[in-house]
Amino acid sequence: MRLSIRESYAGKHVLLTGASGFLGKVWLTQMLHNDSGTGKFYILLRRKATRPAAARFERIVNTSPCFKPLHEKYGRDLARFLSERIEVVDGDISQPGLGLDAETSARLGRDIDLVVNCAGLVDFDPDLRDALTTNVDGTIHVADFVEGCEKAALLHISTCYVAGTRNGRNGEVLVPDYAPNGEPFDAAAELASARVRIAEIEAEFETQEKADEITAEAKAQLVERGRSPDNAKLVATLVRRIKRDSLKNAMIEEGQERAQRWGWTNIYTYSKSLAESVLAPRADRLRFSLLRPAIVESALAYPFPGWNQGFNTCGPLSYMLGGWLRELPLRKGIPFDIVPVDYVGNGMTIAGAALLSGIHEQVYQCGTSDKNPLAIDRACDLTALAHRKHLRRKGDTVVDRLILARWDGVEAEIDHTLSVPNLRKVTKGVAKMMRDLPSRWPKMVHRGAKKVADKVDKIDDNLDTIERLIDLYLPFIYENHFIFSTDNLLKYDVVEEAFRFDPTALDWRTYWINVHIPGLRKWCYPLFEGRTPEQYRPRHKFALEEDAPAETPAAAPAHGGSR
Amino acid sequence: MNTPKRAAFFRAEGVLVSRGVLAATAYYAANAHKFGERALRLGLVALSAPLQGLLGQNDRTLANRLAFLAARRMSEDRLAELGEEYAEDILKDKILDRGVELIKRARAEGHRIVLLSDNISEVMEPLLPHLPKIDDLVCNRLEIVDGEATGKLLDPVVGSHGDGRWAQGYADRQGIDLQACTAYGSHGTDLLLLAAVGKPCAVNPDFTLRRSAREADWPVIEYQE
Repeated sequence: MRLSIRESYAGKHVLLTGASGFLGKVWLTQMLHNDSGTGKFYILLRRKATRPAAARFERIVNTSPCFKPLHEKYGRDLARFLSERIEVVDGDISQPGLGLDAETSARLGRDIDLVVNCAGLVDFDPDLRDALTTNVDGTIHVADFVEGCEKAALLHISTCYVAGTRNGRNGEVLVPDYAPNGEPFDAAAELASARVRIAEIEAEFETQEKADEITAEAKAQLVERGRSPDNAKLVATLVRRIKRDSLKNAMIEEGQERAQRWGWTNIYTYSKSLAESVLAPRADRLRFSLLRPAIVESALAYPFPGWNQGFNTCGPLSYMLGGWLRELPLRKGIPFDIVPVDYVGNGMTIAGAALLSGIHEQVYQCGTSDKNPLAIDRACDLTALAHRKHLRRKGDTVVDRLILARWDGVEAEIDHTLSVPNLRKVTKGVAKMMRDLPSRWPKMVHRGAKKVADKVDKIDDNLDTIERLIDLYLPFIYENHFIFSTDNLLKYDVVEEAFRFDPTALDWRTYWINVHIPGLRKWCYPLFEGRTPEQYRPRHKFALEEDAPAETPAAAPAHGGSR
Repeated sequence: MNTPKRAAFFRAEGVLVSRGVLAATAYYAANAHKFGERALRLGLVALSAPLQGLLGQNDRTLANRLAFLAARRMSEDRLAELGEEYAEDILKDKILDRGVELIKRARAEGHRIVLLSDNISEVMEPLLPHLPKIDDLVCNRLEIVDGEATGKLLDPVVGSHGDGRWAQGYADRQGIDLQACTAYGSHGTDLLLLAAVGKPCAVNPDFTLRRSAREADWPVIEYQE
């Protein structure tokens, strides 16, 4: 089916949410850079503290490497170029009406042709409240807004993994009230029940009994640290922190239980699937499509090879394999559905164009497992080869260059001898042994043993982090065998080459070794090490031009991040 | 019209580079994915070494096949990456200057340059940028099934007595007169290749080739490197 992107978007106005996120930024700049012909982009951003949306956008343009191609293409002229094509709107998807004032809402309602909802909380296991606010309530608010628009359609970004733990080939269908375990499921009832439970947990934390328990714990911690438990100020500060953390953990636990109860892999996929379920009944009155990307990773080509942002799926796994973790539980042959972010950007562009042209499908999946699968064990081998290539030449130490470079991370069974749980048994045993030395032994020995025990405890803490991380990823690398059909995106014969989506064109070896892992090393690994990745400094600083449309009043403080 | 009607055939091993197939297979074996694999593969290479020595003076088909069994079940990705690594880090430094001069001279004389190697394409292709322009590279290829090497060399195996016949076929396809062609070889295996051309030349020949070259009155070049 022929589809011209430029003809579809010509003069059309697009409202984008989540423009500060990884995918949102890449898509926006791709559209601008490749001259999509779009009339105007309205960028919905929420203010942060004292920084209004427009200032946030300027900061993003001036610091994110994603805008590098635009800076290079337009130079000094970028301010004029963007000011003509972009209006930054101060708003918040977690608020009803997107936090817009009546005038802006009415104006956008008249002008907008397409709303692209890219905002989402992408943490695997966040606080259930945040997940529901951003991923479910946010979607409801966006859908309400689109329904109130004169002509707008909605492109909602979801995830392939709403499929949950359902193995095999997952088609491009929107099943109302879907639960992966196949049990009868009512999304609205589940949502209501989750909200009730959230209120109950919050109420539990307001009881006197809980307050006493937390205060006792705070005092105990102070004693352990050698501080006075009678210092009221210290106790109050610690109580606040413990309460906040405990409440968050309780919410995470509740979310995980709910997700697992119905067969989802984590809170993220659970909340994204609920969002799809709340959209499904609107199909008769709302023109919308869902775009479900698989695991979105480093750019193949745009904005430049290797561009990545923040924590993601591959980052921690590949980082661990580049260190001393040698055995990662992986099941051979499982497709690891990685898709470069610029591929997803093109998928979004195509889905949006189809919506604007009235030839859309309800669901588009955007991944590689269907047409050009990458098995998880191959990904592991490629990761080892990529680390080897880097460490042999640029390893920081002799150990890196001579040992780590030649000691590949390999796939293993969960109960492998050197698995993390087994290693933890060793560390715990050693620590216990060091602490339980016979009392008749000299003090000097006890002092030395305590030092060893403390060191072993630190190693155990690190192993604990790794263990929890592996548990988080097990559904994708060991437990489930997902294939996501991508026929709907591929049915369009896209006229403009720059906007095509072709997963078969991806050469995994070149991408993984020369693009993806070097990209992670540059943009993500520093975050794991507490360092700041390289910042972009454009030659000509960007500022929205004076005569750009005025901003709406600030919206209320908000939750949520963006994809 | 511009294509030279003469060709110069160079055997890579011994004429252009001073490392043979065993070094490459040992490198692959020593850098396999897992430590256990490495030991087994190195053992296999060690077993094939005496055979290389024994058969090195004659047809090396069997010896080459055995040596590359060490790459069995190695991923295509690893073969390519390690091949590139081996070419860049090791083989590049083993290029023989005199061999390079011979290629340049043959090019200056208007010959089409054909390089024959017992090694696999994963090793030889990354080496090409470090050599004078080669018109055709003929080397061994491993059979790949489902992204992994089966350990089998695809026919025809280069480094056999069939190389002479191959040169004849090549000349026919390219419209080249073999009598006007040159060939450089250094092992007994190259006898039929050298015999097929009008101007054969033995380079640092082994015992078998040296004796044959003397009997046939072929020129012999000894590198003093």
